[in-house]
Amino acid sequence: MEQALENEELNQEIIEHLMHPKNYGKLDEPSGVGVGHDEKTGEYVVFYIQTEDENIQEVSYATNGCQDTVVLGSMFTEMIKGDSIENGKNAVEKMDKRLSGMTVQQQVCAEMVLTSFIASLINRENRLKGKSEEMHVIKMKESCEVEEVETKEKENNDK
Amino acid sequence: MINSTLYKSKHRLWLNILFASFAIENETIKSSLYDFAMIEFRHMKWLGQALRDADTAYNYDRDKMMLYKHDSNFELLRFVLDEIKNTQALYDTSVLGGRMTTDEHYFTHHITSLLNNSDNDARISAFDMHRSLPNKILDSKQTDALTIFLFEESYKEYELILVYAYMQNYTKDRLHFDIFQDLIDESHFHLKSFGNMMAKMGILGLPRELHEMTYKITDIKKFVKDGIAEEEAAKEMCRQLAADINDEELSPFFDFINYQENYHIALMEKLL
Repeated sequence: MEQALENEELNQEIIEHLMHPKNYGKLDEPSGVGVGHDEKTGEYVVFYIQTEDENIQEVSYATNGCQDTVVLGSMFTEMIKGDSIENGKNAVEKMDKRLSGMTVQQQVCAEMVLTSFIASLINRENRLKGKSEEMHVIKMKESCEVEEVETKEKENNDK
Repeated sequence: MINSTLYKSKHRLWLNILFASFAIENETIKSSLYDFAMIEFRHMKWLGQALRDADTAYNYDRDKMMLYKHDSNFELLRFVLDEIKNTQALYDTSVLGGRMTTDEHYFTHHITSLLNNSDNDARISAFDMHRSLPNKILDSKQTDALTIFLFEESYKEYELILVYAYMQNYTKDRLHFDIFQDLIDESHFHLKSFGNMMAKMGILGLPRELHEMTYKITDIKKFVKDGIAEEEAAKEMCRQLAADINDEELSPFFDFINYQENYHIALMEKLL
């Protein structure tokens, strides 16, 4: 996934995800619903999981974010769909370690996708414990505005 | 019967006809399909009003849509014809039901006549990802910048059309109603421009579905302020793209879109 995005040029795989994002939309009867929300920009990712025992049977996501978020959501959901929850968590850890290869904006977008997945797992746990929680929302620490600010700072330093 | 299921079908039909108009190169067919799509959008608006008056909720959910990758004009036109017929089965005998039925009776008659002339058939390249424009030489960096811009902005225009339409339907303020209408009209033009360009580049895809968190607005001031920030960002993207592409035809077009955003911001400020 990160290799496709590290390449500066858009490749066919990314274009395919842009034209036809995989697993996009809602799930009718989710086991967990999580949201990663950037309060500064109003951007969000909603993540739906449907599990059976400890396996992720179905997964979907929706976002009002940028195209990087769309592509990362599409790729990540393909990675974890049909796998165990444990492997899904491992995929998050692996991704976190490799985010440094991406641009700042891509890192923020990836974090929002991963955070929304984690939020969906928390919501699932809460539901299993009998809590009535429609969705679990986690506010993002970093904002998509980061890159813009950093770019402007860099431009000022270069002057 | 006028209900949220019919609204959902009408939304789907509007999108299918609209994107069929983008996909087909023949200017005469493209133009008639675009006109039909705009009529379908008005049907959708009137259905929304009827549902609001009946105190019935509706949303922008969509079932899986399959415009993706049709190979020929005829294949796409037959698909549109089937979609119209499937939606017609849901109409009732109300005045609005009658209007939609007679409009689409003409649409199906027109599309059937197109299908009876084999000269109207042609290969569709709108989905083949060739990523070039006729008579333009763009390097890979310029092509990528244009590709990303078109995906970002075509989704954004679709989003704006639906969000403003939803807010327009529920506002009781006449000034707001008129401002929303202006913004919707402007976004239709932008979506048409970007959709046709995406088709020329072979990267036409339906915009992704809107989640209700996007259009059920509880804080209009925050929504407008965020929207103005997005317009500013879109202006910068247009300006940057015009500079990067540096083409005597494309650059003035993106500058033209950039300058239009100034008035959108002025309109949005009136909402505050």
